Formats: sequence, structure tokens, C-alpha cells
Amino acid sequence: MLERSSAEVRIIELLKGATGPVSGALLSRELGMSRSAVWKHVEALRKAGYAIEAKPRAGYRLASKDFPFGAVELLSSVQTDTVGSQALFFDSVDSTNTEALRLARDGAVEGAVIVADTQKQGRGRVGRKWVSPPRVNLYTSIILRPSMLPPHAHMLTFLAAVAMAEVIEKVIKKRPTVKWPNDILVDGRKIAGILLEMDSEIDRVHFVVIGIGVNINLDIDLLPHELRIGATSVSIEAGSDYSRVEFATALYYALEKWYKIVSGLGFGLDGFAPVVEAWRSYFSHEGKTLRVSSFNDTIEGICVGIDSDGALLLRRPSGEVERIISGDVQLCRVEPWNNECEEGE
Amino acid sequence: MDLKSIKAIYKFIKSTDIVEIEVEGEGGKVRLRRGAAGLANPESAEQHVESSASVTAHATGGSAPSNSAPVETPDNIKIVASPMVGTFYRASSPETSAFVEIGSVVRSGHPLCIIEAMKLMNEVECEYNGKVVSILVENGQPVEYGEPLFHIEVSK
Repeated sequence: MLERSSAEVRIIELLKGATGPVSGALLSRELGMSRSAVWKHVEALRKAGYAIEAKPRAGYRLASKDFPFGAVELLSSVQTDTVGSQALFFDSVDSTNTEALRLARDGAVEGAVIVADTQKQGRGRVGRKWVSPPRVNLYTSIILRPSMLPPHAHMLTFLAAVAMAEVIEKVIKKRPTVKWPNDILVDGRKIAGILLEMDSEIDRVHFVVIGIGVNINLDIDLLPHELRIGATSVSIEAGSDYSRVEFATALYYALEKWYKIVSGLGFGLDGFAPVVEAWRSYFSHEGKTLRVSSFNDTIEGICVGIDSDGALLLRRPSGEVERIISGDVQLCRVEPWNNECEEGE
Repeated sequence: MDLKSIKAIYKFIKSTDIVEIEVEGEGGKVRLRRGAAGLANPESAEQHVESSASVTAHATGGSAPSNSAPVETPDNIKIVASPMVGTFYRASSPETSAFVEIGSVVRSGHPLCIIEAMKLMNEVECEYNGKVVSILVENGQPVEYGEPLFHIEVSK
């Protein structure tokens, strides 16, 4: 786990912040280490892909702005206090969530983030796969240690969705929608998915891992055929490629902002009220017919919103309103000639 | 016509060569057609909308009453209870085998099940060393906060 205060992150921050070359003497003074120790770290950064030029009697400078995707880049870019204060990067990992769970059990701090260029076994709900091609998308997991009761922890699902929707909206300049509970869609196509995993006792949350996959510069042709129609990406919606690091730092910022709001209000249902309100503003399925599939059942009804506890409310043909706690939601297009539910949504 | 009846009809025609069927019952009429068009029940969407709303529990929903109220258990039998309202899963995915079966020997930290609420998955771990002697909830069923899930016979 790399920290923001580590020498390599500090060197990159200093080089990025300078207008000209930065002398080895200045770096060694700032970092409180010998010039040869500075040189060793510069070498490590070069190996990691930073184009650092060294000019005699002038110092070090970054010769290219094509910075490598990794923990140093993330940590030198984040503008948060907690979320993203430590980072661990993998070129390839089974699943960032699995890794985050393992690290959290070993005591990783709140706000630590795991990022991977590609996942071999990216996961969705109930064992589903999250297709995770390399070099194009953001796969990240965030470890939180909220002092809250387990029965409220599922509200973090909405917090993550709201943070994600805000960032997507800012980046693509178009308003996304949320699909209950936390998928983010643009014009009905999925752009990001979120899966939370918790470790708790009956009366205490040990930690929660928020796992996030965002299609950033994904070429839809990289996806298996059956997923293409229901998927989109930031670059498709924005019309140009977007930096994964910039997206990640904006996301960590939004997550931290909402986390501080809820934490300030005490992590109870009242505390999540602003989150629920913001979530509802992105929700477009109210009044629509939805089909919800769960483990051994499928039900349909007209959506009448979500309650303060996050449950999806469906009015059944009998008129009764059901509270749904888990399941896959599909939007049914109710038109005179059909009421098929959309697949892939 | 409720979804259960529609499903029952659908199951029935699936086991036959019938491609399209229209059934009239108390709650209205439903027409099912098989094939590429899939399940179609054009009447059901608009017909029962106005009735007054009341909240009930459902298999996918939350507030089913616990049918396994705490009972007197011997000292060496420990109850593992659900830390939250959600759906109970005995395996991490439909394709993998259950975390434990009756008779499984478990150690503290061994995963027993997953409870899901709104895409928050909570892997419930065993806090004891012992043996699973009963599994009190069926896979895919809703559970309440504090509802007993397993009985563990603690090893001496």
C-alpha cells in the first residue's frame, strides 16, 4: 500500500508543481533524504513509466505529460483527505473487491483504495462477471470503516450511486439516471456498476468495500456480443477519451463529500436522507412498469419510488405495494403492441 | 390474475406444444405466447392499478415474520443470527456449492452464508469452532435483522 507521503508521490507532486527543473538539492531538502536516495526514487519512477529528465546543474523535470496509470499518479492527483489517502495498484488482479476485502481484514485503513488496470474475475451481483478489459476502464475498490450499525449499511449503496452519477454528469455534460439500487445508465445504457461488500458482527460494521467499475474509454466492440447493446462509456458519451486518473480522483472526491455529509449526520437513516433525495433526482423509473427478478421469483409492478430505507416500492396488480430489498430490475416498455422487458438493462 | 397464476400457465404451456393460450379467470384475462416474443400479458399492466396501496411482504421483499423464533438451546449450541434485513444465500453464486452443509465442521472465520440488501453483500462468518447442526433458512429467502440462520454445535 503506497501512501501519499511516500517519497515517490512527493517527487512527482514537486515536479508537476514546478515550472522548470527541480534541483536534486531541493528535492533532498523537501523529502529529508540524501541526494542519492532521491536519485534511487527517480530511477524507480522512470521504471514505472515517468519520463523524468535529469539536466546537469539544473535538476529533474518531467519531459512528458503522458503519465503512467498507477498508484503514484493517483496519489499525486487526489484532492481528498481520506478516500484515496493510500492506494494499491495492480496491472492485473482477480478482483479489486476481493483484494480490498483481504487487505481490510489485514487492517487496511479507511479510505485506502485498490485500483487495477484489468481484472481477471471482475464480479457483479450473485457471482455475475464484470467484464474488465485492460487499458480502458476504471476498476477500483474503496475501503470504508463507518461507525454505523449493519442494518443501515446498505444505504451506502445509494451514496456510491449518487457520487458516481454526479461525476458522470460533470464529465459527459449529460444527466445520467440510476437504476435501483445503484447502476448508472445513460439513455438506458449501463456506464457504471457498483457492488458493495461488508464484513460485520451483529452490532458492528468492521468495514465496507465499495467496488466500482466504470466504462471510461471502452470501445463497445471489446465487450461480449450480448452486452454491447446495453452498454456505453464515458468516451462514447463525451465524444472524446477521458483520463482514468482524473475520473478516479473526481469520484474519490464525490464519495468523500457525501461520506462526510452522512457521517456528520450520524450514519442513521436521517443522515442518509440527503443521499436518498439526491438519488431520487436521478431516478427515472417512477411510474414505469418494472420487472424484478430475484433468486427464485420474478414480480412485476408499477414503481412508486423508494422509501427512506432504500427499498424499491412496486405497486402490484392487486394494488398492494411491495418493498423490494434485493433483485435485478428490468424496465418493461408498456406499449399497446408489447410489454416486453428490456434485456441487458 | 396474479403473477403466480400466469407463471403456472406459462410453465404448463412450456411443457406442451401450445404456442399461444388465452385464459380467463377472476382477475381478468391473460394471453401467453411462446417463442421469440417471449412472455406477453398485455392486459395485466393496466388493469389493476387503482386499488388502494398497502405494504406487504414478499419473497423478494423485507418484512416477512420470522418463523423460527428463538428457542431454548443447549449451552453448546450457538445461534448465528442475521446482522441485517436482506436475502439469504448459501453460496457466493448460483454456480458454486454452498459454503456449509449440515454436518460441516467450521472454524471461527469460516464463511457461512451471504446476506444481500440492495447490492450490499454481507458474508456472515462463523464466530465459533464447531459443527453446523442446523440451517434454519432456505436459499434465496428474505431474512430479518437478528433472525437465527444457523445452529453451531461448539466443540469442547
